[in-house]
Amino acid sequence: MTAPSVAISARTRKRLIERGLDVLTWLVLLVMLSPVIWLVLSSLQTDGNLARGTYNVLHPTFTAFRDMWSTVEFSRYLVNSVIICTAAAALATAFASTAGYALARFRFRGARPFGFALIGTQLIPGSMFLLPVFLGFVWLGRHTPITLFDTRPGMILVYTAFFTPVAIYFLRSFFMAIPRELEDAALVDGCTPFGAFWRIVLPNALPGLVATFVYAFLFAWDELLFVASLTEHNAETLPIGMRNFIGNYSQDYGQLMAAGVVSTIPVMIAFFATQKWLVRGLQAGAVKG
Amino acid sequence: MSTPTLTDIDVEVTVTDRPDPPPPRGSGPIARRRRRGRARRRTWRTSRFAYALIAPAVVFMVLVHLLPAIGGLILSFKNLNTFTFSQLYGAPWAGLQNYRAILFDGSNPLHSGFFGAVENTVVYTFWTVGLTLSGGLAVALLVKRPMRGQKVVRALMLTPWIVPSYVVAVLWGFMWQSDVGIVNKVLVDYTHVLSDRPVWLLGPHTMWAIIIPSVWRGLPFAMLIFLAGLQAMPKDLYDAAAIDGAGAFRRFRYITLPLMRPLIAIQLLFGVIYSAYQFAIPYVMLGSNPGPDADLMMTLIVRQSFSNNLFGFGAAASTLLMLGMLVWVAVWYRAFRRDLEATS
Repeated sequence: MTAPSVAISARTRKRLIERGLDVLTWLVLLVMLSPVIWLVLSSLQTDGNLARGTYNVLHPTFTAFRDMWSTVEFSRYLVNSVIICTAAAALATAFASTAGYALARFRFRGARPFGFALIGTQLIPGSMFLLPVFLGFVWLGRHTPITLFDTRPGMILVYTAFFTPVAIYFLRSFFMAIPRELEDAALVDGCTPFGAFWRIVLPNALPGLVATFVYAFLFAWDELLFVASLTEHNAETLPIGMRNFIGNYSQDYGQLMAAGVVSTIPVMIAFFATQKWLVRGLQAGAVKG
Repeated sequence: MSTPTLTDIDVEVTVTDRPDPPPPRGSGPIARRRRRGRARRRTWRTSRFAYALIAPAVVFMVLVHLLPAIGGLILSFKNLNTFTFSQLYGAPWAGLQNYRAILFDGSNPLHSGFFGAVENTVVYTFWTVGLTLSGGLAVALLVKRPMRGQKVVRALMLTPWIVPSYVVAVLWGFMWQSDVGIVNKVLVDYTHVLSDRPVWLLGPHTMWAIIIPSVWRGLPFAMLIFLAGLQAMPKDLYDAAAIDGAGAFRRFRYITLPLMRPLIAIQLLFGVIYSAYQFAIPYVMLGSNPGPDADLMMTLIVRQSFSNNLFGFGAAASTLLMLGMLVWVAVWYRAFRRDLEATS
């Protein structure tokens, strides 16, 4: 019976290897997804089951999803996250659209230093300017009517500044893909440079703008260090809410997992809804550079 | 790498604009000067427009990055702690005292804490970046092959990257639980790979308890970037090599890897910076003090600054951390300069 195996043709062997690699690909996908699957499955268990380690996957229950809203004021964190991240991502995209356009189209003195400065901002550890930002907020609160500490505008300001540099590079590659001739034609027709940018370039860059918005939104949604120090109640976002679950109710793993699911759903929707453009933006920037 | 990397960046900032057309021939110095003046006015006009376009971003960067970073640098030379905190920037000068205590004062507990955190951060960064990049490349090679369901596989493979870090930390913190966690359930109860239950969140295993989730979250992003690089590769090169009898491994070693070097370089640069500044995963999973086996630079600095009010120490340690990253950027630039020139 072993004889035929020797006679396996090169083609069959190649096909076998290919099928084997297909199976391997699906296995890798399963491994990568299993923690997420486990997150969802365990959020559908009772806290008692999870604490004892006696999972009953076949009998899901939504009690954790029901109780989590009253255990911790979770809706407050969720609303804050949605407002702060949406506003910050929109502002960062707006500022990045003009700056990214300038970098993509114009030669001006200081363009190179500006580009380096954008990367330089990524080199500053958050811990280095966290305290000065905090002190600045406190100072403004004492000496001016502007209150930024523990307010949504304060967090929006900080996040806008954080994610603008990344957004600029991200958008630049989209602008570079738009043909110059469009603007030249508009300029010949009597458009001002800003008019050409506003009426011709921006509408054509719409996929890029949406992708940039989502990209900045994902980052803002993930931020923990600054919101932990610059807020104490009013402007706290989801990571603080999650931490409060751990602090006060460490045994309620079911609710903790349910809170994790709820925190992940908005970014999942945002990502998969715009995935085509977002992936194109990430990949274009990486390859054409 | 994972999130806030500027992976989609080139370091060379290329600015495209048509060169000005050569000036028409005129005669005499006056005509020449007038022409030069006109050209200068025109460049100034387009420059002015460009400056107006970048102005909002610059204002924000100065207000939230530059000035506070300078403030941080100043604070690192101050003796700012619980007793002097009310004086803020008026706190007494300490000169290089903070730095001396961190770097040379063996009797100071902050000294050993600092070097412990440096060591942990190096170990964490090495394994996280190494495994993320090699794993990302391997998975990119896998999903690049034509197969049924390829689109679905590629899209779903990105899922871990979307899960927020603090959810990653909470989820894995639960999975690592010694008695009821799914990891030990699988390893010990279901498959009997191990005979007794390892403790993941205490002692020497803690480092792996934060490295593995970090790799899990960062790998899809690396895969995405490498996949773009693989798809952009000239196919005829491989065909030619295959005809010449080069096997799959040699094709990978001598064609794929060299062509991927620029992408690997950029991923490496930002991956190391991002990992060295990692905070959320150890902080949420292990608390403000992750213990001597997993205390990273950022958790140490934040704890000493905000729990123990040693703000001068925190600022000095932050400055040293940034200097360390500047050294890394310099080393990286020397190593990969040629690859960057090749792409731009």
